[in-house]
Amino acid sequence: MSEAASHPPCLAARNLERYLGEEESRVHVLRGVNLTLEPGTVHAIVGPSGCGKSSLLYILGLLDNPDAGHLEIGGVPVLSIDDGEASAKRNESIGFVFQFHFLLEDFTAEENVMIPMRRLGKLTEAEMEARAYLLLEEVGLGSKAKRPSRHLSGGEQQRVAIARALANDPLVLLADEPTGNLDSLNSDRVFGLLTRLVHHRNKALLLVTHNPAIADVCDWVHEMKDGMIVNTTRNER
Amino acid sequence: MPVKPSLYIALRFTAARKRSLVFSLSGVILGVAFFISTQAQTQGFEKFFIETVLGTSGAITIGDRFQPRYDPILTGGNGTSAAVSGQQSRKYYSGVDNPGLLIRCLEDYSAVLAVAPYVEGNATLRTNFKDEVIKLQGIDLVAQLRATTLRGQIIKGDLDRFKYRPYGLLVGTLLADKLQVKPGDIVYLTGAQGSPHACTIEGVFQSGINAVDQSRVYTHTSTAQSILNMPYQITSIVVRLRDPQRAPEVAAHFEQQFAHISRSWQDREQGNLAIFHALRLSSAIVVSLIILLAGFGIFNILTMTVLNKVREIAILRSMGYRRGDIQGIFLFQGLIIATIGSAVGCVLGGILTYSISLIPIHMRGIMNTDHFVVAWSSSHYVWAVLIAYVSVLVASYFPARRAALLPPVNILRGSGQ
Repeated sequence: MSEAASHPPCLAARNLERYLGEEESRVHVLRGVNLTLEPGTVHAIVGPSGCGKSSLLYILGLLDNPDAGHLEIGGVPVLSIDDGEASAKRNESIGFVFQFHFLLEDFTAEENVMIPMRRLGKLTEAEMEARAYLLLEEVGLGSKAKRPSRHLSGGEQQRVAIARALANDPLVLLADEPTGNLDSLNSDRVFGLLTRLVHHRNKALLLVTHNPAIADVCDWVHEMKDGMIVNTTRNER
Repeated sequence: MPVKPSLYIALRFTAARKRSLVFSLSGVILGVAFFISTQAQTQGFEKFFIETVLGTSGAITIGDRFQPRYDPILTGGNGTSAAVSGQQSRKYYSGVDNPGLLIRCLEDYSAVLAVAPYVEGNATLRTNFKDEVIKLQGIDLVAQLRATTLRGQIIKGDLDRFKYRPYGLLVGTLLADKLQVKPGDIVYLTGAQGSPHACTIEGVFQSGINAVDQSRVYTHTSTAQSILNMPYQITSIVVRLRDPQRAPEVAAHFEQQFAHISRSWQDREQGNLAIFHALRLSSAIVVSLIILLAGFGIFNILTMTVLNKVREIAILRSMGYRRGDIQGIFLFQGLIIATIGSAVGCVLGGILTYSISLIPIHMRGIMNTDHFVVAWSSSHYVWAVLIAYVSVLVASYFPARRAALLPPVNILRGSGQ
């Protein structure tokens, strides 16, 4: 308890509401969602398609705005800030991993990892290169740092995407089915890598998944239905 | 210092699409080069024509005296005014009144470099086998050489011999060809009234203006006054100005000040100048259209790039890139194309202009030249670059804006399907 008081949660959401569409086609996609991500924890969100998992992820990642509710990242309220500030916060505090890696194919693996660092603008070119190389080493791709990303396999590209998500040492990692496009071997490898990094670096990871095997090994599993978290369970390890 | 992130990404995007880059660049390069070379040609001919005109007839020609019209409204000292009826049109008196005084006054103006009086009238020039009506111009050689480029126009004969021969003549080259005369030949000049005078051809000149070269004959002032029966008369004064571009305002001032008709070269040659102006404008419009078309091509390429890169744009936004950064990526792409295209286009334009200046062309008419005349002016390059930048940046702005406004959530949702 005392530790929680001294370290605010990486992310805390209260009563998030979100409507999509207009008038007759208006859908209530999030209905009062509450969620807290403590450092060093891995959270899975499961639920049927259309239950609001991705919508929640985009709001938590400041890519979308809720219609009501409260959101803090690292103890700082972030819902009243403008688009520029939200972008800066996203750049500094949030790392995204998507089902599709979305690497810039003309860039090398290393250059892809350096993209968020360039925006942050705190490191020199040499420092960025050194950090990108370290991150790629960490995901097992140090030897392929200078390779164009289009010449990497699907699993390798997803690992580059993970390294890129960690580029600015964010508080929170948000992953939308990060293993959904990979075979089981690569899926296990990528998920293992993510959880190891989160525990090792004391980050928080929230991942959306349809894969029960992955959900079972997360610290927390939040089940969503009709825009609400209907059940939260803690997996004891 | 790290490169601005949007510029870095723009450079990489631009370099990665080599075919699009070549297509975009070639449009800008050709547009800029054509603009420079066509402007150099049209302005070259125009400047050559103006130099010819100034060298032959000066910046201003002062002619007949006139009586100023009085103001139809007379204003009294106590604020009263009265209308005067029976206003008459301006009266003209042939020739320059008191030319010596007028020349001294003109020479006092700082804008005036030189003045040359002359007397002009029609006369008949007779050779052994042909008569020709010519325009005889009696000049003060020393003054004429200061006010015009007559010395450089002499293509046969000797000006010094002319100087010391009271009945010496300088004949226009086309007239000399027509009459088959050469320096040393004796011809006879007859005014409207009077007997023929034996004169010697001392030189042949080529002004470059056909109308002058086929009808004008120079002699000394006193000789012309005698032949034309215009004793002591001066019909006009040629004025050479420090800045010929100011001729209209200076001419207007002279006319008001001295009550003599004063015509600037722009006024005298307005017909020809209008043609040159129209040609320049027309070529500028045509070539600007080429650059605009290049801009349209760039617009299409960038729009396609935006459509092809929606996922990359969304992921950049998810990594914290702002709308302005995304817009910057595509604007920088346009800027890169405009910069490289303008630089290469300027070099190519210079090479084209030089190559064109070497092309032989036999032109006789309002001016004489044996090769293409080009003008080297930095303004052609500045305008070409300016037009290229404006059209490319306008062409880049809309795709860039579109990219910046793409909602990342919609793209990320759609891409997962």
